[in-house]
Amino acid sequence: MRDLSLSESLAESEVTAVARPLPGADVETGGKPERSALRTVLGWSRPSIWLPCLVLVGLLAGGWQLYAVHNPYVIPKIQQIFSSLGDRPGFYVTNALTTLQEAMVGAVAGMGTAFVLAVVMSFVRVIERAVLPVAVVLNVTPIIAVAPALVVAFGFGETPKYIITAVLVFFPFLINSLIGLRSVDPLALDVFKTLHASRMEILWRLRLPSSLPFLCAAARICMPLSLVGAVVAEFVAAGKENGLGTLIVTAASLANLPVIYASVVVLAIMGISLFLLVVLVQSRVLAWHSSQTVKDR
Amino acid sequence: MKAPPSPSPSPLKIPTTPHGPAPSEVPSAKDRLVIDGVSKAFGRGKDRVAVLENATLSIERGQFVSVIGPSGCGKTTMLRIVAGLLDVDKGEVSIFGEGVTRAIEAKHIGFVPQSPALLPWRSVLDNVRLPLQLNKRANEWDDRAAMDPVEVLTAFGLGHVLRRRPSELSGGMQQRVAIARAFVSDPPILLMDEPFAAVDELTRESLRYELLSIWQSNMKTVIFVTHSIPEAIALSDAVVVMSANPGRIQQIVQVPLPRPRGDLLETTAEFHELEDQVRFAIRAGRSHP
Ligand SMILES: Nc1ncnc2c1ncn2[C@@H]1O[C@H](COP(=O)(O)OP(=O)(O)O)[C@@H](O)[C@H]1O
Ligand SMILES: [Mg+2]
Repeated sequence: MRDLSLSESLAESEVTAVARPLPGADVETGGKPERSALRTVLGWSRPSIWLPCLVLVGLLAGGWQLYAVHNPYVIPKIQQIFSSLGDRPGFYVTNALTTLQEAMVGAVAGMGTAFVLAVVMSFVRVIERAVLPVAVVLNVTPIIAVAPALVVAFGFGETPKYIITAVLVFFPFLINSLIGLRSVDPLALDVFKTLHASRMEILWRLRLPSSLPFLCAAARICMPLSLVGAVVAEFVAAGKENGLGTLIVTAASLANLPVIYASVVVLAIMGISLFLLVVLVQSRVLAWHSSQTVKDR
Repeated sequence: MKAPPSPSPSPLKIPTTPHGPAPSEVPSAKDRLVIDGVSKAFGRGKDRVAVLENATLSIERGQFVSVIGPSGCGKTTMLRIVAGLLDVDKGEVSIFGEGVTRAIEAKHIGFVPQSPALLPWRSVLDNVRLPLQLNKRANEWDDRAAMDPVEVLTAFGLGHVLRRRPSELSGGMQQRVAIARAFVSDPPILLMDEPFAAVDELTRESLRYELLSIWQSNMKTVIFVTHSIPEAIALSDAVVVMSANPGRIQQIVQVPLPRPRGDLLETTAEFHELEDQVRFAIRAGRSHP
């Protein structure tokens, strides 16, 4: 369920020991665990952390460049990519914003719907029994394949892009939400029940907070995934609108390799930013969770 | 609601100890927690296992009763039945003349589970506030005074960690928080399932006397499941010894030691005698099931 991301593996490595609060250091203030985002940044100041990665990136870039020099029609040189970016930054930003807007509308719609459905399913067992097997099957289906059909149905406007993105993030988020809402400490549930807590109270005060780690894990997957949805939708329905996917398709038809790879670079930056955004939100929302703190026991 | 049974067969009836509540005549149903002929099995068909068989027990208001017995003899099951978390197959539980459901609705039961089961996203203080926030309707039902969470935590020696998260506390402190949470809404009944099981022996002994002194100041009716014979004797008015396969109540050992009790009590001859009595009862339960 939990994919170990870069920043997480950083947070869980020796780096954490640096900013780790001393056991019993301070009663009133020192007891609070440091934020993992802060810890991660602190970790980056140590060469032993970033140097191996930097070396690998350097090697890859060198290999790329060597290949590009001899095969100019397969991949562009790195400086061509960046000069394309540097020449027309506004152009890329405009296209990126279009794609981002499609991705975010779709992501919010898909994740929101999935979560609401998960809550309903956790209340009504029959609905869960009906929906869950279907959701599991659809989750492992390459649902993106319906994109052309959605374009046929909804035309070339923004609607099919929202729908494709929403559909793509829907199932992973639904399944994670369901697991999260169920992953309740059974003894804590006992305590709630002996206090005659209502189902709403159990939902708000127990199930929802318990599900947050799962929702965050799902969001870390779904936010970058929404970009995939938006780009593929633009591939399929290219033509009218701008957007990085449209740009890539157009550039490919003109064999303009630097523009294609410049768009890919922009998409990569967007994906990383979305991921880091989720990690940042998570470090606030999940400050209590064991993934964010180091236990001194 | 059916009235609980008339005074039960004498060996299972716990008489008022000299130091228990008002030494009046036979206490009425309103002043007793009665477990009457309760049986419970899990599974069906071939997998059916009788976990509890014909358990009968009557506890007077304000008594502290410990339950001791081998693992798997149904102690937790019995506690969960009284807490309204499990239904019985046979028999009946009546709490001060009312059914379990009614007692739950009125928040009359404080439950301390086997592990602290604190909410990790809440501070210590907010964890203890929880019972006051849930099922608020019951807060005004009777004249019991919900306590101030800060005061309760201070009484348990946790006044200095109010804002900490549970994960920042030691196991013993977490257990104290769980007990404080059960005390805060001032329920007349406390059910504790091996609350000190996961705590080291030294902490365990100090927790024992902390609990004792707090209990002595407000005399709730307590069912306390434990694995420790000295713990059971030091705390209780009576020790219920259970035997396994299926879980039965083997014997009830009265503990007529004076109250208030302190930790010197454990060095007395009477204490050791009672320990042996409980030990023999456990052994007897093992030899002929
Ligand atoms: N929900 C359940 N389903 C099936 N078996 C159970 C369940 N709860 C408890 N048991 C079984 O009942 C027996 C008694 O359990 P328990 O009451 O927890 O014992 P104790 O608390 O005395 O150790 C055990 O053998 C256990 O496996
Ligand atoms: Mg148990």
